[in-house]
Amino acid sequence: MEYVIETNDLTKVYGSGKEAVTAVDHENMRIKRGSISGILGPNGAGKTTLVMMLTGLILPTSGTAKVLGHDIVKESLQIRKKVGLLPEGFGFYDHLTAKQNLDYIAALNDIPKEERDKRVGEILKAVGSDGFKDRKVGGFSRGMKQRLAIAQTLIKDPELLIFDEPTAGVDPEGAKAFKDMVSKLNKEQGKTIVVCTHLLFEMGPLCTDVAIMNQGRFVVQGNVEEIAERMMAEEGYRIEVEARGDVGAFVAKLKRLKEIISLEVKDDVISIKTMSDVRAEINKRAAKIKGLEVLSIRRLEPSLEDLFMKYYQKEIGVVAHG
Amino acid sequence: MADVFVVASKEFSDIVRSKRFIVLVAIFGLIMTAAMVTVYVSIVQTMPTAPGGPPMPQRFLGTVAYMLISTMPLFGAVMGVALGCDTISGEREKGTLKIVLAQPVFRDTVINGKFLAATLAVSIAVFITSLANVGASIMILGVTPTGEEALRLALFMVFSVLFAMTYYGIAVFLSTVSKKTSQSVILGVTVWAVFTFVIPIIATLVAFTIAPPIIRPPSPGEPMEMDIESIRRYTAIVETISSITPNHHFSKVGQYLLNPYATTGGPFPPQPAQEAASVTSSLIYAGPNILVLTIVTTLAFIASYMVFTRQEVR
Ligand SMILES: Nc1ncnc2c1ncn2[C@@H]1O[C@H](COP(=O)(O)OP(=O)(O)OP(=O)(O)O)[C@@H](O)[C@H]1O
Ligand SMILES: [Mg+2]
Repeated sequence: MEYVIETNDLTKVYGSGKEAVTAVDHENMRIKRGSISGILGPNGAGKTTLVMMLTGLILPTSGTAKVLGHDIVKESLQIRKKVGLLPEGFGFYDHLTAKQNLDYIAALNDIPKEERDKRVGEILKAVGSDGFKDRKVGGFSRGMKQRLAIAQTLIKDPELLIFDEPTAGVDPEGAKAFKDMVSKLNKEQGKTIVVCTHLLFEMGPLCTDVAIMNQGRFVVQGNVEEIAERMMAEEGYRIEVEARGDVGAFVAKLKRLKEIISLEVKDDVISIKTMSDVRAEINKRAAKIKGLEVLSIRRLEPSLEDLFMKYYQKEIGVVAHG
Repeated sequence: MADVFVVASKEFSDIVRSKRFIVLVAIFGLIMTAAMVTVYVSIVQTMPTAPGGPPMPQRFLGTVAYMLISTMPLFGAVMGVALGCDTISGEREKGTLKIVLAQPVFRDTVINGKFLAATLAVSIAVFITSLANVGASIMILGVTPTGEEALRLALFMVFSVLFAMTYYGIAVFLSTVSKKTSQSVILGVTVWAVFTFVIPIIATLVAFTIAPPIIRPPSPGEPMEMDIESIRRYTAIVETISSITPNHHFSKVGQYLLNPYATTGGPFPPQPAQEAASVTSSLIYAGPNILVLTIVTTLAFIASYMVFTRQEVR
């Protein structure tokens, strides 16, 4: 597996003495090439501090990290050549037009003039800003600026894109457009994408991988399905059986299963919590009851929200590395 | 890696199109014109009493010198502070800094580019306002400067740019360490006011306390008598204290370059007109002052680099 980001005890402490704040605390994380990785965490978790260190805007207090194989301190310039960053709380030059702003950023990336014109035009179209490319950014709405900020990350044709709160202040339509674009960039151009956000519900479903961060530490990270699997193993599996017929006898039989943690019946639906995935066993027992028709047996996957709630509230110190 | 000229050309076009720059150039153009008119009127008034007047070269240079010396310290310093005080803090506040610094560009390049752009813009401002007024004085007074005078004027303009860049450097440093532009503006104006008004006053007060110049009251029918030695000491103290300001060094440079009769003896007591110094000699006299301005400017930039390259940008 190839990783585009690898951190090694990466730490950032703001201030010193009594006022010291450890924003990122001995963090070890990996982001897979080709993934859409969500760095999820509540306000103040340290997401912004982390990405600012990765892109050379903040120096780490201790620890090391590599982005695309380059050291974040010694080879920051190489990183910034290949990584597009949408920073939190960004701004543009108000007195310049959208096109002029992008042109300047393209020039900073050493893109020659003719190519710059072409690329800026294409990218403005791609993010749906073509209509206001010649207007001064000072008069832009929040959403228009956001599009420009996304456009800005694409100018250098980066291998890796890092978006910090990309949909902050964007309307639902804009958020959807953003997500569609991210999927497209990932699928069609194979770009690796990292999205930092506290908006679990909005961004979660987009991600192939997540890393949940709280108080400067990763509480859990990895592929969404793997994490769900692990959570089920820790917390128990939830299975729902819908049946018709002699449900009473069936329930009595199920209760004798030693893996059962709890069981509830509501109408024809039996909700079971078990220590392992006992769907096959349930089927077997059901077959032994005459006049019982099993309509469905489903395993309920934990939602991202479940994951989030579990790992957010988890004590620091119980750190699971993916 | 982005070139310093990428930053410089953007910054330059930003500066020369900014209201701030245009307004400052216009105001100082007018102030210079007013200074020139004052000189013109006083010359016209003294004409009849001094037929023939002093030799032409001295008068031409003297006229223009008055105009430039009286306005340039203000212009240079205000221009420097006005252009410098939001260089970094302004971009930090707007959030453009993190976008710029997330590109493959060294932080020094950003400061160098801005410095280059400001130098060019200030040069243009100094040359335009000075040349327009010098041109006007030539036309009004009907005298043409000699080659040497033209050279002296040109050199003065170059060092005016240096002086403005000294203030610019200080302002850039303040803007690097300040979180907000409002803060760096206040600091910049304070530094300027301290150097321009407070220190000269303190210098006078201190000199007056330590070594008051002795002036004997005139006995009836006799001219006032001054104790030359006491005045020399008084002046030396004033100059020593003032020498911590860039303004002092710039005004020295102005005196040496625009008045060929100025020597290193200090302005007081007035020396009898000796032989005029050559341009080279004037430059040599002004050398230490030019060096001080250069060093202060360089130090201000080094300090800015050191702070800026380590700074957290978020
Ligand atoms: N310049 C600073 N000085 C001191 N503490 C800081 C500074 N910047 C951030 N912090 C602290 O570091 C911690 C992490 O902040 P950070 O902005 O990285 O979190 P975040 O996960 O991005 O939060 P959000 O979702 O609000 O953007 C917070 O406790 C914050 O108060
Ligand atoms: Mg943040």
